[in-house]
Amino acid sequence: MDRREFVRLCAGTAVAAACWRGAPAFAEAAADFAPARLVKADGTPLQAAEVGTAEAMVFAYPYRGIPCFLVNLGKRMARPVALTSPDDGDYTSPPGVGPHANLVAFVAICTHQLSYPKPADSMIRYAAAGSPTAGAPGRIVCCTHGSVFDPAAGGVRISGPAPNPLLPVRLAHDAATNGLTATGSVGDQFFERFFRTYKPDLIDRFGPGGYRQPVGDTTPAVPLGEYSALVPAC
Amino acid sequence: MTDQVNRRRFLKLSGTVLAAGPVVLAAGPAALAAGAQPSGNATKAAPFVSTHRTLGLPKPKGPRLVIIGGGTSGLTIAKYAKKEYPQFDVVLVEKRCMYSSCFASNLWYPGIIDLEFLADHSFLDAAHNGGYIHVNATCIGLDRASRTVATNEGDIKYDFLVVAPGISYDYDKIGVHDVGEQIALHQAYPAGFKYPTEHVTIHRKVREFEGGVFIQTVPSGNYRCLPAPYERACLIASVIKHNKLKGKVVILDANPEITIKAPGFHAAFDELYKGILEWHPTSAVTGVDVANRTVKTEFDNYKFDDAAIYPNIRAATLIEELGLMAPPTKSNQKEADIDIRFYNLVGDERVYVSGDSRPMPYSKSGNTSNSEGHYVAKVLAARAQDKDITWTSPQTLCYSMVDAFPKQAIWVDTYYGYDAAKDAITGFKDTKVDNTRSEANGTAYLEWARGLYRDMFKA
Repeated sequence: MDRREFVRLCAGTAVAAACWRGAPAFAEAAADFAPARLVKADGTPLQAAEVGTAEAMVFAYPYRGIPCFLVNLGKRMARPVALTSPDDGDYTSPPGVGPHANLVAFVAICTHQLSYPKPADSMIRYAAAGSPTAGAPGRIVCCTHGSVFDPAAGGVRISGPAPNPLLPVRLAHDAATNGLTATGSVGDQFFERFFRTYKPDLIDRFGPGGYRQPVGDTTPAVPLGEYSALVPAC
Repeated sequence: MTDQVNRRRFLKLSGTVLAAGPVVLAAGPAALAAGAQPSGNATKAAPFVSTHRTLGLPKPKGPRLVIIGGGTSGLTIAKYAKKEYPQFDVVLVEKRCMYSSCFASNLWYPGIIDLEFLADHSFLDAAHNGGYIHVNATCIGLDRASRTVATNEGDIKYDFLVVAPGISYDYDKIGVHDVGEQIALHQAYPAGFKYPTEHVTIHRKVREFEGGVFIQTVPSGNYRCLPAPYERACLIASVIKHNKLKGKVVILDANPEITIKAPGFHAAFDELYKGILEWHPTSAVTGVDVANRTVKTEFDNYKFDDAAIYPNIRAATLIEELGLMAPPTKSNQKEADIDIRFYNLVGDERVYVSGDSRPMPYSKSGNTSNSEGHYVAKVLAARAQDKDITWTSPQTLCYSMVDAFPKQAIWVDTYYGYDAAKDAITGFKDTKVDNTRSEANGTAYLEWARGLYRDMFKA
């Protein structure tokens, strides 16, 4: 989507204001994707107040094959951080949104060796209460090789072998409805690498090309514990 | 933990090597025959062996980096050296015509994975995705003076060379000295830690086991994959238990204690395999009678119905043949004589040795070689650009499956320290461990291996 089309879409939605109120640096670096309203499994809009602090919720964005985490940081607030992706260049992570500015979202693909949540299992999770590998509460942990990220600081790597931060997803919060909308993301080149890496698996799950399709106007968000049958607690 | 390379020392060494090249070339073959090589303490190489033809390769567009060995170390370095410094013209030489990983191979024996899991990874795809050249050939010689590495398919000139040939077995250290006996033992009861066809043999053994005694030996020294013999013993015991066979696994361990993750293995031995698995510590093998299926230790003889005899290991014989071996005072496993932080051969900053031929006391595991490979790629990129590089530790994240029905694993995750005063690698650092077996860990183990494959073979 080009910028003019993005402007058009923003103008036509309730989140128009949010489109332009985000951190400017992020707005410049983020790829602008069609907004997608976060909904519950039954299709009704997800309210900011319904995002729990115990675990992340998983939603697909901007493509059907790209899983993302929605995290409620609780009493912490997310601060914007200037970061770099070797695939997608420099960007500034967006601040938290919602009534308490504590809701953030990330592409739920470990930037080390690309582990991601699947229906069978997820090696990567938001460890709200901490864990041996996390070292402290409130971090995103990948059990595959022990990488740890801080969702309150743009997904920056804290420990383990991952060389780069998790990639952010931009959210907008509509104060009138208390709803949440995903409006953009950093990671277009990274997504291509992910698709190339997992092509046979993604074809099996989404059909040929299905993983590349935009999610559409809405995208369901479900708790990780429901999304994945097995989630290790490393 | 970190330390800067001494820049002056680096420049001095580079200068020596750069100056040496043209002089030797001018002197011609006579100088080569006389063994003229850049200085260093490594043992002298055998005379340079070559096919006397040049391997057909495109003209390099940048410094040529040749990597000998397409295992975990070589594959990782090939991909990431190109990423770190795209000007590199990378050539990966591997003698196997098909890849199959040593890491995770124990999981095949009880059927947790199939052979595709280990082997459905193409050298061609890795080279295509990584932007380098794969050559299916065997390294046969090295002339460091002219920076030429010889293969059975022809010679290759290099600007930088990485030799990552892995390990060889050292049957002498378990009292099997006769070469005929060594061959018979390896063919009948392979260790399963060197190359894939051994895995096929052990897989057959486990599938065909109908009862009796299966012996798994554990050598002394820094052998490849410390937990693997204990893991394999657990998995064979789990097959015996699952199939309700009248049989047991006997572990003859040269070491006084389980070498890693001891609490997790002891728990599995005691809680899952009582009467099915016997562990005998301080029971170094002193000989094997292949015909009579008997393992000898200092105090006892053990009869077996089938076995996997893991002898001591050493660096691949190629390290010795190419004259890269450290003196016995520096390595008792015939490993390479390299700088322990920057991997270059002592006295030659054009030649590097990585992976399990290294002399450092790192656990010789897939994760170590992979994480080390990321760092060695940075070293090579820095050296090619005459930049400094900060040492970083490899990571040893190591899962062990202690049960197959259902699959349950334990793990340890550790790094290493560097003591600048002693110029030595110190022991484990920042170690995390989970000795409580679980199915979640078992699932993570498979994803761990898939991650390594992705890292080496995908874009």
